[in-house]
Amino acid sequence: MKILIVEDEKNLRETITDFLKLEGYLCEFAETVADGSEKLALYDYDCMLVDIGLPDGTGFELIRELKKGHPETGIIIISARNSLDDKIEGLDLGADDYLAKPFHLTELNSRIKSVLRRVKFSGKKEIVIGKLCIQPDARQVYGAGQPIVLTKKEFDLLLFFVSNPQRVLTKEAIAEHLWGDFADSADSFDFVYSQLKNLRKKLLEKTGTDYFKNVYGSGYTFVANEP
Amino acid sequence: MKLINYINIRFMLLLLVIFTLAGIGLYIKLGFDVNENIDEILTARMDRINDNIMRHPQSRFIGVSADQSVQISEIGPSKPNRYFSDTTVLNLHDKRYDTCRKMTELKQFKDNYYKIQITYSRFETEDMVEILFTFMIGLFVLIVALLYYLNYRLSKSVWQQFFKTIYTLRNFKIGQRDKVLFSSGNIQEFNQMNSVLNEMIAKIQADFNNLKEFTENAAHEIQTPLAIIKSKLETVLQDEKISPDILKQVQIAYKTVARLSKLNEGLLLLSKIENRQFVEQADVDLCQLIRTRLEFIEDLFSLKSIDLRVQLDEPVIFNMNPVLADVLISNLLNNTLKHNLQNGMLSIVSARGELVFSNSGLPLTVEPEKLFQRFSKNTASNESTGLGLAIVSEICNLYAISLHYSYADGQHSIKLGF
Repeated sequence: MKILIVEDEKNLRETITDFLKLEGYLCEFAETVADGSEKLALYDYDCMLVDIGLPDGTGFELIRELKKGHPETGIIIISARNSLDDKIEGLDLGADDYLAKPFHLTELNSRIKSVLRRVKFSGKKEIVIGKLCIQPDARQVYGAGQPIVLTKKEFDLLLFFVSNPQRVLTKEAIAEHLWGDFADSADSFDFVYSQLKNLRKKLLEKTGTDYFKNVYGSGYTFVANEP
Repeated sequence: MKLINYINIRFMLLLLVIFTLAGIGLYIKLGFDVNENIDEILTARMDRINDNIMRHPQSRFIGVSADQSVQISEIGPSKPNRYFSDTTVLNLHDKRYDTCRKMTELKQFKDNYYKIQITYSRFETEDMVEILFTFMIGLFVLIVALLYYLNYRLSKSVWQQFFKTIYTLRNFKIGQRDKVLFSSGNIQEFNQMNSVLNEMIAKIQADFNNLKEFTENAAHEIQTPLAIIKSKLETVLQDEKISPDILKQVQIAYKTVARLSKLNEGLLLLSKIENRQFVEQADVDLCQLIRTRLEFIEDLFSLKSIDLRVQLDEPVIFNMNPVLADVLISNLLNNTLKHNLQNGMLSIVSARGELVFSNSGLPLTVEPEKLFQRFSKNTASNESTGLGLAIVSEICNLYAISLHYSYADGQHSIKLGF
C-alpha cells in the first residue's frame, strides 16, 4: 500500500510517516502543492493524506487533480482549520474523510484502513484474526463461526482496535473515537472501561480468547497473534 | 420627527414672522401714504375755504356744515397756526364712530380770530388693513399647502434613494459574502453619503475578513504544534521499553496536551461566534437534534445509570446556524452529563418556544450569575475546560434566545426561551 503524505510541517510529517511505516505502508511525502502535484503525476498511490493549508496553495487543488487522474485513490484531509466550510468543500470535491488536527495517530490509522477498505475492496473484505471474523460493511462479527451480537459502540470499538493491532490505544483516543465531542466528560474513562469490559466478555465467550491487554495507565492493546 | 417636517415647521415659523413684520410695515407705510394723501386733500379744501372767506367777507361763515365735515368757530386771540390730528367722529348715519383725519387752522381775519376744523374719514385705511390681513393669511395658507404638496412629491422621489440606503443598511450582515453597493442618484448629499458608506462597508468587510483569517490562522498555528506534541507523545506511549516512571510523566503530558487542544478549540469557537462567522441560517428542529444526539451518547447516560425523561412532543423549530445549533445542544447535554450524579436523572421537556434541561446534581459552588462566564468551573475537575456554558451563553446571545438557570430540590434547570 502506497501512501502520499502532503504536509508542510516537517515534525508532524515525520511522526505520521514513522507510525505508518510500522503498519507496513510505503510512505512518500510532499511539502507543497507543486511538489505533491508532481508526485501525483509520476506515481500511483492508494491513499493521499493532505493538509489544506500549504505554503503555495490549498490541498483542495491536489484533491481536484487527483480526482481527475486517479479517482480510485482514497483521500483523507488532515487540517488544522476545523471549519465546516472546509470540511464540506473537501468532501464535496471527493475526499473520503476529514480529520481535524490535533488527532490521535491511532485514529488516523483507523481512518486510513477504513478508506482503503472502501476504495480497494469495495467493502467485500473480511477481516480475519484467529477465530474472529469481522465484516466491516455488514457490521457483523463471528467468533468461531457463530455470530456475536455487539452494540453499535462495541462494534466501533472492536473495529478501532482491529485497525490498530499491537498498538497502545489510549483511553483518550478511544473515548474520542466513540463519542466525539462528548469525550471530555470527566467520566469518559470509566465509560471506556465498561464498554471494553463488555466487548471483552462477549469475545471471550465465543472465541475463548482474550484479545485485549491492559497497558498500565495509558490504555489497551489489541493482541492479534496470541492463540 | 421627520426631517422635512422639522425644516417645514421652522420655515413656517420664519414665514409667520416675516409675514407679520411685512404686514405691520406695509400697514405703517400705507397708513403714512394715505395720511399724506388725505392731508393734501384737506389742505386743498382748507385753501378753498380760506379763499371763500376772503372773497365773501360779509357772509356769516361761523357754524357747522351739514355733513359735519367743516366746522368754523370764533376764538380768542391766538397765533395763526395749522396742524393735523386724528380723531373720531360720530357718524350719525351709521351711528358709529369713524376714525377721521382732522385739519385745524387758527386764523386771524381782520380783527377776529377763527378756528377752522375740517375732517376727512379714514375708513379707506381700515379697509386697507382688512385687505392686507386677508391677503397675508391667504398667501400663508397657499404656501403651506404648496409646501405639503412639495413634501409629498419629494418624499416620493428624492427621499426614495435615502430610504433605499436605509433598507440596504438594515439588511446588511457583516459576515455576508456578496458585496453591498449603494447606488447613486440625483441628490448630491445622498450620493456623498452612499459613497462614504460604500467605502466604510468595504473597509469593514476587509477588516472582518482579516480578523477571520487571523482567527483561522491562529487556529492553524496553534493546532499544528499541538498535533506534533500529541503525536510525538503518542509514539512514546507506544514504546514498550520505557520505564513506568517515564511512562507516567508522558501520560500526564499527553493528557494535558489533549486538554490544551480542547481549550484552544473552545476559545476559537467563542471568537468565531463573537465575530459572527456563522452566517448560514436554516430552520433547525431542535427536538430532533436532541433525539439524535441522545441516541449517540445514550450509552454514556446508561453507564452512569441516569434516568432519562425526555418529553419532546411539542416541536421547537428555530432559525439559526445548524452548526451552532449542534454545538448548543451538545454542550447542554454534555453539561447535564458531566455534572450529573451516579443514578441521577435528566429531564428534557419541550413546550411552545421553550426547552428545559433539568438534571440532578450537587449545589453550585460558584454564584449562579457567574455560571455562564468563561473559566468559571463548578467542579475542581481538570477535565472541564470551563468553556461549555460560556459557549452556550454566547450562542444564546447571538440569536436572542433567553437563558435562565435555577436550582431547586437538588435539580439544576436551564431554560431556553425562543
